Amino acid sequence: MPCERKPMRYGHSEGHTDVCFDEDGKCIVTCGSDGDVRIWESLDDDDPKSINVGEKAYSVALKNGKLVTAVSNNTVQIHTFPEGDPDGILTRFTTNANHIAFNTSGSRVAAGSSDFLVKIVDVMDSSQQKTLRGHEAPVLSVAFDTSDEFLASSSCDGSVTVWSIESQTQVAQWKVLQKSSDVSNAKSLCRLAWQPLSGKLLAVPVDMTVQLYDRDTWTHISTLSDDLITQVVNVVVWSPCGKFLAAGTVGGNLLIWDADAKLCIERQKHEKGFTVCGMAWHPSGGRIAYTDTEGCLGLLEGVSSSSSSSSSTTQSTKAPARKETNDYDDLFDEDDDRVLDEGMSDSHSPVKKAIMDDDDDDDDLMPSTGRPRNRGAFLDDDSRDAGSVKLDKLPEDGSSFILPAVDPIVSRPIYDGPMPTPPQRSFQPGSTPVHLMHRFMMWNSVGIVRGYNDEQDNAIDVEFHDTAIHHAMHLTNTLGHTMVDLSQEAVLLACEGTDELASKIQCLHFSCWDTHKEWMVDLPQGEDVHALCLGQGWAAVATSALMVRLFSIGGVQKEIFSLPGAVVCMAGHGEQLLIVYHRGTGFDGDQALGVQLLQLGRKRRQVIHGEPLPLSRKSYLAWMGFTAEGTPCCIDSEGVVRMLNRTLGNTWTPVGNTRDTCKSKSDHCWVVGVHENPQQLRCIPCKGSRFPPTLPRPAVAILSFKLPYCQTTTEKGQMEEQYWRSMLFHNHYGFLSSSGYEIDNESQTRAEKEQQELLMKMFALSCKLEREFRCVELAEVMTHSVVTLAIRYASRSRRMALAQRLNELALEKANQLQEEQQQEEEEPAYQSVVQNSGFSHGYREYRGSDQMNSRQAQVESGCNDEEEVEEEYQPEEQMDAEESTDASRPRLNPFKKGAKSPERPSPKTVSRGGRANPFKVSVAGKSSGSPAGQPRTTNVLDSMTLSNRKPTALSGNSKQGKAPVLKPLAPKSKSKTQATLLQMSIPKGSIKKQVESQSAAETVKETLVATPPASTENTENSKPKTGFQLWLEENRKSILADNPDFEEMDVIKEGMGRFRALSAEERLIWTERAKGDSDPKKRKREEGKEMVENADADEGSVKKKKPLDTSAKLSAFAFNK
Amino acid sequence: MDLAEVEFLAEKEIVKIIPNFSLDKIYLIGGDLGPFNPGLPVDVPVWLALNLKQRQKCRIVPPEWMDTDKLEKIREQERKLDTFSPILSPYYMELTKLILNHAADNIPKADEIRTLVKDIWDTRIAKLRLSADSFISQQEAHARLDNLTLMEINTTRSFLLDSLNYMYKLHSNLQPGRTRDY
Repeated sequence: MPCERKPMRYGHSEGHTDVCFDEDGKCIVTCGSDGDVRIWESLDDDDPKSINVGEKAYSVALKNGKLVTAVSNNTVQIHTFPEGDPDGILTRFTTNANHIAFNTSGSRVAAGSSDFLVKIVDVMDSSQQKTLRGHEAPVLSVAFDTSDEFLASSSCDGSVTVWSIESQTQVAQWKVLQKSSDVSNAKSLCRLAWQPLSGKLLAVPVDMTVQLYDRDTWTHISTLSDDLITQVVNVVVWSPCGKFLAAGTVGGNLLIWDADAKLCIERQKHEKGFTVCGMAWHPSGGRIAYTDTEGCLGLLEGVSSSSSSSSSTTQSTKAPARKETNDYDDLFDEDDDRVLDEGMSDSHSPVKKAIMDDDDDDDDLMPSTGRPRNRGAFLDDDSRDAGSVKLDKLPEDGSSFILPAVDPIVSRPIYDGPMPTPPQRSFQPGSTPVHLMHRFMMWNSVGIVRGYNDEQDNAIDVEFHDTAIHHAMHLTNTLGHTMVDLSQEAVLLACEGTDELASKIQCLHFSCWDTHKEWMVDLPQGEDVHALCLGQGWAAVATSALMVRLFSIGGVQKEIFSLPGAVVCMAGHGEQLLIVYHRGTGFDGDQALGVQLLQLGRKRRQVIHGEPLPLSRKSYLAWMGFTAEGTPCCIDSEGVVRMLNRTLGNTWTPVGNTRDTCKSKSDHCWVVGVHENPQQLRCIPCKGSRFPPTLPRPAVAILSFKLPYCQTTTEKGQMEEQYWRSMLFHNHYGFLSSSGYEIDNESQTRAEKEQQELLMKMFALSCKLEREFRCVELAEVMTHSVVTLAIRYASRSRRMALAQRLNELALEKANQLQEEQQQEEEEPAYQSVVQNSGFSHGYREYRGSDQMNSRQAQVESGCNDEEEVEEEYQPEEQMDAEESTDASRPRLNPFKKGAKSPERPSPKTVSRGGRANPFKVSVAGKSSGSPAGQPRTTNVLDSMTLSNRKPTALSGNSKQGKAPVLKPLAPKSKSKTQATLLQMSIPKGSIKKQVESQSAAETVKETLVATPPASTENTENSKPKTGFQLWLEENRKSILADNPDFEEMDVIKEGMGRFRALSAEERLIWTERAKGDSDPKKRKREEGKEMVENADADEGSVKKKKPLDTSAKLSAFAFNK
Repeated sequence: MDLAEVEFLAEKEIVKIIPNFSLDKIYLIGGDLGPFNPGLPVDVPVWLALNLKQRQKCRIVPPEWMDTDKLEKIREQERKLDTFSPILSPYYMELTKLILNHAADNIPKADEIRTLVKDIWDTRIAKLRLSADSFISQQEAHARLDNLTLMEINTTRSFLLDSLNYMYKLHSNLQPGRTRDY
């Protein structure tokens, strides 16, 4: 069936409803038991205009800009249309009217009421009333004859009566209906319908059939029925051409008959089977709107094409496809009008508009009736924009549809190619439509800006998610700002210009440290702001003059540049500016958008040079912005979320679909933010609309991402999806570090670990499936250490060929690593200068401090723990693994420091030190989540721990025991609790003293123990010793003596060779030693201790002064257990 | 058990709040909470939610059951049935009291909810009294009551036990009297 049933949507609260179209078919008008009349631009209109007409509305009719409603206060009222202003009361009854109808010319209204009366009232002069008496029960329905001569009415008394309007007498009466006492008990609403145009037939729904009566003889001439009808017919309507008759039943069936042929040509079922109680045929005949008793509104599309399929085959095939475009166009109809008004649009848009309108009509037109009306519309268009060349083609286009084969007037070429799409209007991502009275002007990760624009108030409320940024603000919106952006530093507002006033930009720079926290800029006359955004220290505004203006956050005008097309939206983050604009004209519902990404930092450059922005078919851009980590991200109206993949040549990767979680088709998710770490899509689920209302305050929900990979039901697909998602969502680390931001090292290593784990799992899976080639493919992306694991796995599962290949791969990787390492060693200074841009000097200094060392050591110990397992059985590999971590270490550190510089506040507010937490369950070696912002207090406590550590504690914890010389500040969870307890019992001043003496002692220690200055040495020693390392330490000197020019690497290599050359027993001894005495340094330490003794002496005295009271000791003991 | 103690237990229930500050995970004996991101809902125990609310550090998201429609349904059900119907939350009374007293501005239709919960409470307590009455008057040895909340048990316990004790005392006093008569 070419006829398409659109999904139902809620229109009113449950109860009786009625529906009609306005005369030119632009809007659907419904009324319901909630007393509202709603005007829908289309079925997808999320914000229908509501007119409250009373407590309950029973029936609605619309003609000549008069909206007549029958309401529960027993009156029939007029409202103006489309404004909805009350325009007086037409007539009153003693109870409510059940049905009202206009005559053809719209001069009179008939109303049938529950007080048995039918009244006919002149619309212009309500004193001109005629009352038809004769029914013996409530009147169900009324219908005017086309020539205004007769009026038909049906009633609960079981009769259908035809009245002569002039004489107010009954002309004919048929007792065909079932009797009932009241409308509420009536089986059927029995809506009558008189055939339009000819007016020859009167359709009466009788039980499960529709009976047709002849007008002049008043005889029953035929009955329309269908097997599908199982329940009583409620409503009948004629198509505007009078050829087809549609009926809706109590059981929710919708049927269309060809009245002449008496053939049922269309059968549809209401999606939930509710009672259809209102139906209306679009004036051009293409669609039928219907409502049910549950307050839902539905639409049948393409009715004409199906019904006229016999006469024109071309049309019927094309129609459904075109329909979709039309619906989509409806969405922009309004926007397009505005574009027209503004006069900024290119010469195409009026033409487009015309095309759209006509296209609309063409599809909907009935072969016979459509043409003259349509012609009228064209004439109208012509007069409006005469001179438009394209327009000339349109009538032809239209007529070709109307008269496909009969009249081939091919005087001018016919255009039936793809139709241009009206360009999407510019918007602020994270705002709800401008025309709403109460709207969100901005909802982003910083806060919420609400705009109120009603009778009492025109105001803007700014509220911050984090009240630490700024307190909430209330601004009166005297200038009529419509665009807002909000950042951690400022609020940027802008309004479009009027005739007198220029377009203005206002900035509330609340983070400003002087007293003038506000600035304002007028744009040149005739230039309007269309989009704006804020970044770190700058603001950008795109205007109607196809220009982008940059400002500093303090109000200094900076660069301006031109855009290739009208702006759609802009977004800023840190130093990045993202601009989306119209690249050209889209066709068939698609938008043609281009995107530019600029870097506005010290080194200004364009990252994306206006490449096309990928969107789903027939969709438009719904949200555009940056993730919290600074990766551009866009969401289209189909809900597809795309993220920029910087590692794949700035391509856009779909990472999820917000519509997946929506239950119904009209539900949407309104996105407010995207986060990469943790992977979160923050949005507000909206039921039945695209955006949320301001009240009740919507709650944010968190969606997860899912890359649309194939076969995600299988384990393989799942892991692939996970792996690539993890890869994609950790690209930002690379970007952040390359642009000098602080990065969360811990989570990065965690992510890397997770990726490697996934690889290993995939490897194991392919191993199980005996896909060895695939195994090698996977191994190629693994890190070196994981490859060794893979080799073990392969050899254990007896795949020697695979293990062999992997071994080769591992060697290759090891070589690569070594090369990289060497390169780095050659030019480390160069690198740090380049990446640090002048900060490297400070970095060196900083590094000398204890704090830094401890932090570093912490991170490292975290890594080491993870690697320990491998190291145990792979002593040789361990060296490489260590090197690899070392290789990455010096690279990371500079950025940690870089983030410290005051000009660059980190983009994340998470790392916040606060107090040390005694309850924190920290895994040994895991630092507390924010390595960068390590609180000072913990350091103090940790150092105390060290100084107070007893020898017993040392021997109890071997790992701890070996550390102290080189890692004096390494925190351990157990001793930490002790420390806090200590702190409780020790006065503050003494703690300070202790710390001082402690650090003094440490410096002494450090000088005493001859440690090589290289940081690589540092990290190596922090790990548990292997036999080889012990051996190497003993023999280093001899190696160095033999080859004085050796570098560290060479020493190790040489050492390895020599160690291997040792006999098995000797090696065993060393490994035994390594196991038994995990700390070779302990002896050294003890030696050193004596020397330190004097330095420690004053420390000891401090200790003695404060003997711990027993209870503290006891509790300390308890906690330690 | 004291009613205050019951309330104390109720404070361990989890509610959603929307904080307006940012804080890393906090590690408590009872478990880890957070991280707190401004504007993002996070699950915390009621005591913390109320504390933060009093310091104006968060908005409380009403629990799912704290909804007029749901409560109305429960009320109707409660009125219809003779036995106790399963309640939405084991701490409905305490939580309503706590949340509405401290964060009424975050709960839509707070007054309506207060009335509804009070109605439900009254109905249930009336039933409880009725059953206690029939329990005593019919001199039953045991009875079974399902779906009672802790708070409800505790409101009636002291009274019921005390009165049973007294009755027992009276009863046993009577008996010796009778024996004396012999």
